[in-house]
Amino acid sequence: MGGPRLLLLLPTRTYRTEDFVDAAHRLGVDLVCASERPSTLESLSPDTLLTLDFSDPAAAAARAVEWSADRPLAAVVGVDDVTAPAAAAIAERLGLRASAPAAVTAARDKFQMRQCLAAAGVPVPRFRRIALEEAPLRAARGVEYPCVLKPLALSASRGVIRANTADQFVAAFERIRALLQRDDVSVSGDAARFLLAEEYVPGLEIALEGLLSGGALHTLALFDKPDPLEGPFFEETIYVTPSRLPAAIQESIRTTTAAACAALGLTEGPVHAELRLNDDGPWVLEVAARSIGGLCSRTLRFGTGMTLEEIILRHALDWPIATLERERQAAGVMMIPIPRAGRLEGVRGLDDAKAVPLIEDVVVSAHVGQTLVPLPEGFQYLGFVFARGAAPADVEDALRIAHARLRFDIR
Amino acid sequence: MTEGSDLKTRVQELIDTMINPAVAGHGGYVELIDVQDNRVYLQMGGGCQGCGAADVTLKSGIERLIKEELPEVAEVLDTTDHSSGTNPYYTAGKS
Repeated sequence: MGGPRLLLLLPTRTYRTEDFVDAAHRLGVDLVCASERPSTLESLSPDTLLTLDFSDPAAAAARAVEWSADRPLAAVVGVDDVTAPAAAAIAERLGLRASAPAAVTAARDKFQMRQCLAAAGVPVPRFRRIALEEAPLRAARGVEYPCVLKPLALSASRGVIRANTADQFVAAFERIRALLQRDDVSVSGDAARFLLAEEYVPGLEIALEGLLSGGALHTLALFDKPDPLEGPFFEETIYVTPSRLPAAIQESIRTTTAAACAALGLTEGPVHAELRLNDDGPWVLEVAARSIGGLCSRTLRFGTGMTLEEIILRHALDWPIATLERERQAAGVMMIPIPRAGRLEGVRGLDDAKAVPLIEDVVVSAHVGQTLVPLPEGFQYLGFVFARGAAPADVEDALRIAHARLRFDIR
Repeated sequence: MTEGSDLKTRVQELIDTMINPAVAGHGGYVELIDVQDNRVYLQMGGGCQGCGAADVTLKSGIERLIKEELPEVAEVLDTTDHSSGTNPYYTAGKS
């Protein structure tokens, strides 16, 4: 309390709440939290709690402008894909630091994003948008195999399915159509009416975490994803930084990501890019106008211990940032996948997993009694394993050993 | 009555009259564990334990309310074992 007022857009189901709220408190800002559903305490604390419709950025911006008339805001930050467009719309209305809403919206829609990137000559897989009302068998005849089908606006590989044949295409199409009608999926507009079919690009997958400032991309971390992602589903597991790729290839990944950001018109704030790498060079799969998801940001420390969230908030506030240099140590995270559907009855081996050398922490984020849904319909993890050490290979080994010691009782 | 125990009584009163009736709407409750050196130690239970929005409830709701009513409170600290929550109101996931 007492510092500049900062509005955080926090969906009720995001993993990102704790890390952003902690960062805001460390910075001493006057924190206001907005969610898509009212907090039970909103009526008692209307100066710090707010409800905004993230699915309608214009309406969210109008409400935020009205709310801030006698409570001036110094910054607004959306913590994920869902909130980024609303944050950009609010920032534009209030003259705060952020990318333009059109750029953020384009990055949120996989079809628009590929159109922008392809038009700018950024390497992307060949793609086609297909209406969900179309007969899948007919659509299956118009694509080359292998291909990948995906919803336009979901994250975390949700609904992303590889098809090697027309029969697999039809099955994947029907599965995505059913997924988009689930109660726990909230998409509207084109995202509810179309899917994307694109060429399957073989190769290694990497992720770049960056910060845009005045249109310049600063690479905060480059993550290798050592587990092969070849389908039929694309479950993300291990991220390790720094990358073990040769320096020249890392530079080409940075250059390609910067070109992608420029093509989209993104100029300010965090970006999370996913690329494939093969003999033809880097291919951009995604550039999202947000930071890394889940609890994965806990792998990152900058300078003398600054977190990624502190950097993002400082940037939004236009405060000085001592350094954007990540620490020298290697670090990694394993997102613990859900192996099968069922109810989580218990977790064993937690202490054994935590005892593995280089393991910093093991966080089980699913709760006992929780109904677990694996990919491609699911959108949650069992938890996260974190490791830090001298070399990326040691960190990767530690993550695998710790994961092998965990036992999830699912019935 | 000492100054510390008086503050504890006033925090408890706030929890009973304002905070718990509100969080009960999501099946949650807040328990006062202690007040030491003007620091308030709480535990969250029911729908609040393990809830994805628990930090928002605590920092932007409960702490603000307590500090507004009792400005001598320096900090409100959550001692909850959120990993043991079995019925959180919101469970986290990726968007």
